[in-house]
Amino acid sequence: MLEKTGSDTVAGMAESIGALEERIELLRAQVRQALVGGNRERASELRRGLREAERAWHDALAALEQEPPEQQRPRDGRLLAGAAEGNARAQAGSAERGLAGPAAPPRLQLPLREQVHQALTLLTVPASPRLISAVHEALFAGAISTARLTSLRRDEERSFLVAPFARPYYLCAALTADLLAPVRGLLAVSTWPMERRVIGPLSPRVDYLTAAIQIAESVQRIPGPGPAAWRLLWRFAVNIPGGSAQAGEVDPATVARAARAEMEIHADADTATRGAAAARARRQLGDPEQLFGSRLRAAPQAGVGA
Amino acid sequence: MSTLTSLARALAVERGRAQPLCTVRHLHVSDRPLVVVPLAMAGEANAPLAAMAGDDPRSPALLVVSQPRNRDDRFAFAAELADVIVPYIEGFLGAEEAVPGGPGREPRTRLADAPQLLVPSPAGIAFVRLLGRSTRFRRAEGPYPVPERVPALGRWLTFLAERAEYPGSSLLLAATDALAGHWASGQSPAEDLNLAALAGWIEPPDGLSGWEAAAAAEDPLTWPPAGPATDPTFDNEVLAPLIAAHDQARAAGDIAAMGRVRTRLEQALASQLLPTWRLMWRAVELLRGLPPGGHVGMRWCADKDVFTGYVDYLREGGPPQPRRDTAVAAARRLATLERLLAACSAQRAFDDPLVMAEFRLSGEAMAGPVTAAEPGRQDTSGPRRKLRPHITMETSDPVLLDLGAVLSSPARPRQEARVLSVSAAGAGRTRVVLELAGGMGRGLAAAPGSVPEVGEVVCYATFSDGYQRPPAFPELADTPWTHGGPPPAYVPSDEDAREVWS
Amino acid sequence: MDSTEARLDRIRGKVPPRNHNARTIAALSSNPGCARRAIMDAAGADKQRLAAHAGFPAGFGQSQFAITRGNAFEAQVKANGCAELLRLLRDQLRLPIPEVSYDNLEEVGGDASRELRHARTRHLLMRTAASGRDAGTLFDHPLLRLEVGGRAVYLEPDLIAFRLNGRFHVVEIKSFAVIDGQADGDKVAAAVIQSAVYVLALRQLLAELGIGPDAVADEVILVCPENFANQPTAAALDVRKQLTVLRRQLARLQRVDTLLDLLPAALTFDLDPDPAGTPRRPAADLADAVRAVPARYAPECLASCEMCFFCRDEARGATAALGRAVRDELCGVEHVASVLSLARGADPGPGELAEAAQVLRSAARLRQEGLGEAV
Repeated sequence: MLEKTGSDTVAGMAESIGALEERIELLRAQVRQALVGGNRERASELRRGLREAERAWHDALAALEQEPPEQQRPRDGRLLAGAAEGNARAQAGSAERGLAGPAAPPRLQLPLREQVHQALTLLTVPASPRLISAVHEALFAGAISTARLTSLRRDEERSFLVAPFARPYYLCAALTADLLAPVRGLLAVSTWPMERRVIGPLSPRVDYLTAAIQIAESVQRIPGPGPAAWRLLWRFAVNIPGGSAQAGEVDPATVARAARAEMEIHADADTATRGAAAARARRQLGDPEQLFGSRLRAAPQAGVGA
Repeated sequence: MSTLTSLARALAVERGRAQPLCTVRHLHVSDRPLVVVPLAMAGEANAPLAAMAGDDPRSPALLVVSQPRNRDDRFAFAAELADVIVPYIEGFLGAEEAVPGGPGREPRTRLADAPQLLVPSPAGIAFVRLLGRSTRFRRAEGPYPVPERVPALGRWLTFLAERAEYPGSSLLLAATDALAGHWASGQSPAEDLNLAALAGWIEPPDGLSGWEAAAAAEDPLTWPPAGPATDPTFDNEVLAPLIAAHDQARAAGDIAAMGRVRTRLEQALASQLLPTWRLMWRAVELLRGLPPGGHVGMRWCADKDVFTGYVDYLREGGPPQPRRDTAVAAARRLATLERLLAACSAQRAFDDPLVMAEFRLSGEAMAGPVTAAEPGRQDTSGPRRKLRPHITMETSDPVLLDLGAVLSSPARPRQEARVLSVSAAGAGRTRVVLELAGGMGRGLAAAPGSVPEVGEVVCYATFSDGYQRPPAFPELADTPWTHGGPPPAYVPSDEDAREVWS
Repeated sequence: MDSTEARLDRIRGKVPPRNHNARTIAALSSNPGCARRAIMDAAGADKQRLAAHAGFPAGFGQSQFAITRGNAFEAQVKANGCAELLRLLRDQLRLPIPEVSYDNLEEVGGDASRELRHARTRHLLMRTAASGRDAGTLFDHPLLRLEVGGRAVYLEPDLIAFRLNGRFHVVEIKSFAVIDGQADGDKVAAAVIQSAVYVLALRQLLAELGIGPDAVADEVILVCPENFANQPTAAALDVRKQLTVLRRQLARLQRVDTLLDLLPAALTFDLDPDPAGTPRRPAADLADAVRAVPARYAPECLASCEMCFFCRDEARGATAALGRAVRDELCGVEHVASVLSLARGADPGPGELAEAAQVLRSAARLRQEGLGEAV
C-alpha cells in the first residue's frame, strides 16, 4: 500500500492511521486494565502488540509526510490554539539547541576511548562515567554521553583477551581491595600502578579529594575556563570542609588547599590498605584479572561495567 | 464534622445519594471564575506536566510540557499559564466601587470585583502554592531570565494560595471542598477528595446509585484522576513512551517527528484533563443552584478589599512574598485565622438553620416558641429608665446556658438577650427567660416587630455574627527578642532569583 | 494438625509466596487489627491478583517517573564516595571528618546473591561494632533480614552510617522535596515507618551477634532534595513510636496460628490456574473464601491495601466504612441502619445505646426542623 502514490493513497493511509490510533488506544487501556488486575503476563503480552501498533503508526505517519505538505492539523478552536502557538515557539527553540548541542558532531573529535583516557589522565584516579563526562565537558571538548561509556569496559576487556597488551593502554576496572573484584561503575587506566586501581574503604574519599585537587589545578592552568569548569569545581568545593569561602564564590587555590588538608587525615591508612591489596593482586592474579578483576564465579557479563 | 453531618452521611448511604448539609450556599461563586486543572509529573517537586485552564467552559486552553524535567520547558509552561491567568486577573483592575464610611472609617473606593480561581481539590491548591513559590522570585533579566509575566504569575498564585487558607475567602477554591461543604456523600471524607466520586454521589447519572457512580469514578481509565497526580498506569503506558519519543525526536533534530509526537502528547493529556474540566463546570453549576447565604456578599467584599490591597502593594513596587513568615507575622496570621474561623462559622449558622442546628445540638444555641412576652417592660433601677423587655421561651434543645449569658438571634442580630432564668418545663423541655436590649428603636416603646411575640419560634445562640476586634500584636519593629527581635525587611536576593528549578 | 507453615502454604495455593519489603511491612502497621490482612500477608498471598479475580481490582502501581527520579537522586547523593552525603552528615549532624570509610554491599565480588550479601553485611557490621576504630562508616545497600510471620524477609536500606554520634544510623534517601523547610506529611510519615523497619532489622541482626539494641540509634536520617533544586538536605527523625507499632504487629504475625485456629481447615485462596496461568476458580467461590477471614475495613485501607475495594464493598452499611470520625460522631453505633432506626425513634433497649439514641433522635429532629424534610 505504501508504494502507491496519489491522493487516494493519502486518504487510505489517513484512514489506516485512524484505525491504528484506535487500536493503540484500545491496547493501552487493556494494558492498564491488566496491570490493575495484577496480571503482569497478560500486560507484557499486550504491550508487545502495543509497541508494534505504535511502530506501524509512526511509519505510516512518516510515509505520509513524504507526500505533498501535510495540511495543518485541525485545531479545536481555542482548545489548542494558545498552546500550539507557544509550543511552536518552544519546539523551534529546542530544535535549534538540539542541532547545536551534543547531537551535532563538533569538528575534530577524538575517538571515545581517547576522550575517556584524556579525562582519566587529568583526574589521575578511577572515576565514574558521570564524572568522566563532566570533566570532559568542563575541561575538554563537550560532554560524553554516559550511555556510551557503559559498554566501554567490556569492549576493552574483549580486545585485551584477543590480543593482550596490543594497545598502549586499556580502559580497565578498579578492583575492590578485599576480593579484588571489579568495582561497579568505575573506569581506570591500565598503565596506572596497581595501588591506584585498588579501592579500599577510604579510597573513594581520597580519590574524590585527589580529583578535586586535579580539577582545581587545571582550572588555574587553562586560559579562560568556561562556566562548566567553574560549575564542576564549585560542586567539589561545597563538599570539602573549607573548600568554598562564600556562597557562590569559588577559588581553585582554596579548593586544592582544603582538599589537601582533608587528605592528610585519610592518606596514611588508605595508602597502607591499597599497598597491601596491590601486592596481593600482583601475587594472586593473572594479567587479565589484574586489569579487569577476578570474580567469585562466572558472573553474567552484562553486570560488568553497568 | 458533627453528629448532624454524620447523620446526613448515614442518610446518603441509605438513600444512595448525597444529602444536603446546607440550605444556602456559604461561598461566593463568581460570574466568571477561572477554572484551572493542573497535572504534575510524578516524583518531581512540582514539575508541571499539563494544565487545562480558562473562564469559558466551551474553550479551555490546553498547556502541555513535552519534557517536564527540562527547565526551559517548565518555564515555557509557566509563561503560557501566565498568559491565561495574569490577563484574567488584570481584567479586574479596572472598575472601582465606593465604600461608604462608618464610625471611625473614611469613605473609600475598592475594586468592584475580584478574580476567582477554581481547582479540583486541595492538592490543586498545594500545586498553585508551589508553582507560585517556584516562579515568584524569578527575574526578567540576569542569569536565567524569564518573561516578566512569570514572576507576576508567581506572585498572584502565592497571593491566592495564601488567601485560600483564610476561612470564608472565595478567591481560590477547591471544588471538592466546596461541594463537600454543602453535600454529604455516603462515603468517607477521604474518598470525597475524589472529585468524580463526590460528584457521582451528588448527581448520579440516570439509573445509577451514588455507590455505583462513585465506584465507576474510581476507574482511572474512565475517570482519570483530577490531578495534579496522574494515574501510574497512564504514566507508564501512555506518557512515558510519548515523552521518550519526543526526547528522541528532539535529540535527532527531527522537527516533523517532534510535531507528530507533540500532537499525540496533547491528545493523551487532553483525554486526562477533559473529564475533570467538565466536572469542574458542573460543580460550578451545582453551587450556583443554591441561594447565597446572607453573609456571603460581606465576605466577598472582604476578599475584594484584600485583593485591592495587594494590587496597591504591587503598584507601589512591593517585593514578592518572602519564603517564610517572620515570627510576628506568623503569630498574627494564626490569630487572624482562628478569629475568622469563629466568625465565619457564626455567620454560617446565622445564615442557615441547618448549620445552626449543629450548635443547637451541642448546646450552644436553642430554638423554640415564645410562651410569654412583656414587650413594654422597663428597667427603672438606674438613674434613667431603660426599655428591657422580657420574653419566655420553651425549647426541646439541650440547654447548657449560664445565668447572665448574653445571646443573640439570627432574626434580630443587633439585639442582645441576657439569660435570666433556666428551668425545666416538663416533657424534656426547658423554659428560658430572657431580657432583651438594643435593636428596638430609640424610644421607651419597642418598635413594631422588634420584640418577639408569643407563638413566634425564636432561635438564640451564645455567639453573634458581629465584628470581633483583632487581638493586639506588636508592630514588626517591636518584635520581642524572644522571637528574634525585629526582622530585617525581606529583600529577595539574587540567589532567590537564580534558584535552580531542576 | 498441620503445622502453621503448611496451613499458610495451603491458604496461599500453588504459587510462590510474595516477598515482603520495607514498604509492605510498613503497611502492616496501618491496620493492625485486620485478621484478613494478617493471614494474607503471613501466607504471602498475591493480594492484588486475588482482589482482581474476586472482582475488585485496585491499582497500586508506581509511576516509572517517580522510580526513575528516586534512583537518580539516590545515585547523585551517593556519587563519588557519598561526597554529598558526607557534607550533609558533617554539616548538619556533626559526623567527624575522619569518618569517610565507604563499603558497597550491593554485590560481593560481582555476585549479587542475597545470602552472600547478607553474610557480608553481617560480617562487616559485626567487625565495625566490635572493633570501633577504622572499621567502617558508610555501608551502602547492606542486606538485612527480618522474620515476618515466620519467614525471613531480606531488606535493603539505602545506607547505614556508623559512628554518627557513636551509633549506627539508618539513612533513607527519598526524592520528595523539602520546600522552605516543609515536606508532604504523608510522604514523611511513610519514609519514617519504612526506616523504622530497617532499624528493627538492623537491631535483630546485631542481636544475633550478641550486640544490644543501643548500638542502633532511634533516630533515622532522612535525606531529601531541598526546594526545587537537586541539592540534598538531611534531617534526623525519631522513630521510637513507629518501632513500637511495628514490633506489636510483627508479634501478631508470629502468632498467626491463633488466627488460623478460627478458620476452616480447608481454606485456600488458590486460583487454580490453567497451564497458561488463567485462573479457573469461580470468582464467587474465591470471594466466599476471602470472606471466611474477618476483615476490619477503614478508609485508610484505600491507601495501603490491595484488598481495599473488596473489603469496602463488604463493609457497605457499616459506619466504620465512613471513617473513624464519622463513626464517633454517630456515637459509635456500628451500622448505618441502626443509626437511622435509632434516629427515627426505635427503642434502644436498656444499656449503652440509650444515650446514643437520645443524641441521634435530637440530631434527626434538628435536621428535620432545619431542612423542613423528614429524616
